[in-house]
Amino acid sequence: MSENIKLFDISKCTGCRGCQLACKQWNQLRAKQTRMRGTYQNPPDLQPNTYLIMRFQEVEDSKGLRWYYRHQACMHCSDAACVKVCPSGALYYSAFNTVGLSHEKCIACKECVSACPFDIPRFDERTDKIYKCDMCESRIANNLEPACVKACPTGALKWGDKDRLVKAAYKRAKELGDGAYVYGDKFVDGTHLVYVLQEKPGMYAALPKSPSVPLSIVLWKDVLKPLSILAAGGVLAGSFFHYIIHGPKTPDEDTSTKTEGGE
Amino acid sequence: MKKGLIQATDWYERTVHWLLAISCIVLCITGLGMMFHSFHFLGTIVGGLKMLKHIHNFTGLLFAVALFLAIKMWWHEAGVFSMPEDLEWMMCAGGYLWEVEKVPEVGKYNPGQKMFFLAVAGFGVIMVLTGVIMWFFPIEFPAWLVRWMYVLHALGFVVIFAFFFVHLYLGTIGSPGSLDAMTTGWVTRAWLKKQHPKWLKEMEEEGTLVVSGEEKKAH
Ligand code: SF4
Ligand code: SF4
Ligand code: SF4
Repeated sequence: MSENIKLFDISKCTGCRGCQLACKQWNQLRAKQTRMRGTYQNPPDLQPNTYLIMRFQEVEDSKGLRWYYRHQACMHCSDAACVKVCPSGALYYSAFNTVGLSHEKCIACKECVSACPFDIPRFDERTDKIYKCDMCESRIANNLEPACVKACPTGALKWGDKDRLVKAAYKRAKELGDGAYVYGDKFVDGTHLVYVLQEKPGMYAALPKSPSVPLSIVLWKDVLKPLSILAAGGVLAGSFFHYIIHGPKTPDEDTSTKTEGGE
Repeated sequence: MKKGLIQATDWYERTVHWLLAISCIVLCITGLGMMFHSFHFLGTIVGGLKMLKHIHNFTGLLFAVALFLAIKMWWHEAGVFSMPEDLEWMMCAGGYLWEVEKVPEVGKYNPGQKMFFLAVAGFGVIMVLTGVIMWFFPIEFPAWLVRWMYVLHALGFVVIFAFFFVHLYLGTIGSPGSLDAMTTGWVTRAWLKKQHPKWLKEMEEEGTLVVSGEEKKAH
């Protein structure tokens, strides 16, 4: 099966929030009442019932006043820290190379929350489960594009073959010039949400400059986890050989006779 | 009870030991059940991985109490090395690994046991602290900090789990007679003489030796 990605071209986005709404609609997520906080950012952050938000930022500098609208949702990492840590298998690599989530399996350990380099998974106290974008797995399984892509009126969002879209992204960045670049294909073995961005990395709120699977997570899951079994196995084997070669330490005064043939 | 046995531990010491031991074993098993997909059947047995998590967490509280009592009780006996005997003992690995002419005499706890105690005490405290953060504040605390809590928790497991098997071996078949000290609490004189000669001498000198079938000598 060909591998698909979602491409977000920031230069084409008008911030209409159609994608955000389509996500709510398709996933049947109720909205929470929010307050006007003097910003267009609404809701203020990803929530257990908001898998996707448009990040609004107002920036004023020498180039004048500008607005950024960034489509923020799970990046669907190829090397996903959340899948690495999830003990229950609730988070998994789907048949489409995206990162799925089956709520029945989630044990609410919340390990994925701190592991994710993009701060995506959200925990719901009420249901005691984790929530995040699953790239509309039920749709892509039926050859439909994700709901957000379907809704986007400007072509800022695209869904399609990975190689083709990554190539298109580079072409677009070159067209735009002025420091535009592609974000995502080089991190965590490639994300399945790829951006074409125009501002320097680090300018965008809540977007890490060079995300990676945290070193601590690698140390924990790839080093210490196997080591725990190896060390215990080593001790068991060592004890066994100690017993048959050296022999136990018995209270008798003449143990020396029993250790003949020892080391 | 056989006559001539010597009391090595009292009921309180043994209760604390087993409280710590059992909670530690339950934590290891439930922890393994969550960490390794191949051990998920342990979760299935108790009705799901989430139940295993709850058992792990609440046993952790019991472990914390037992650990506190154990540290309080054993700190003076097993928490400090007496130099230079202990160093000499370690240099010859207590005579456990190769032939040693004369193993330095040890008291109630040999340096190996002291190291085990210190490892359990030190990493035990780390397990409790990191566990509390993992349980109660995994979202409230900064993500980078919480991630290192998992690393420390896993490191503590590596150390305690490995040491556990050393302890198990040397407390049973690796050193016959030792198990009695933690079951009935009464051990043979020969065992004491072999394992903890200095302690035997100390008790004899101080007159604190409790021998079955004999009246306890006055202090
Ligand atoms: S962005 Fe976070 S939640 Fe999404 S796949 Fe990557 S690690 Fe997992
Ligand atoms: S909280 Fe749920 S989804 Fe997240 S790591 Fe734990 S079991 Fe997996
Ligand atoms: S639907 Fe398209 S144009 Fe509208 S906010 Fe989303 S990405 Fe931007």
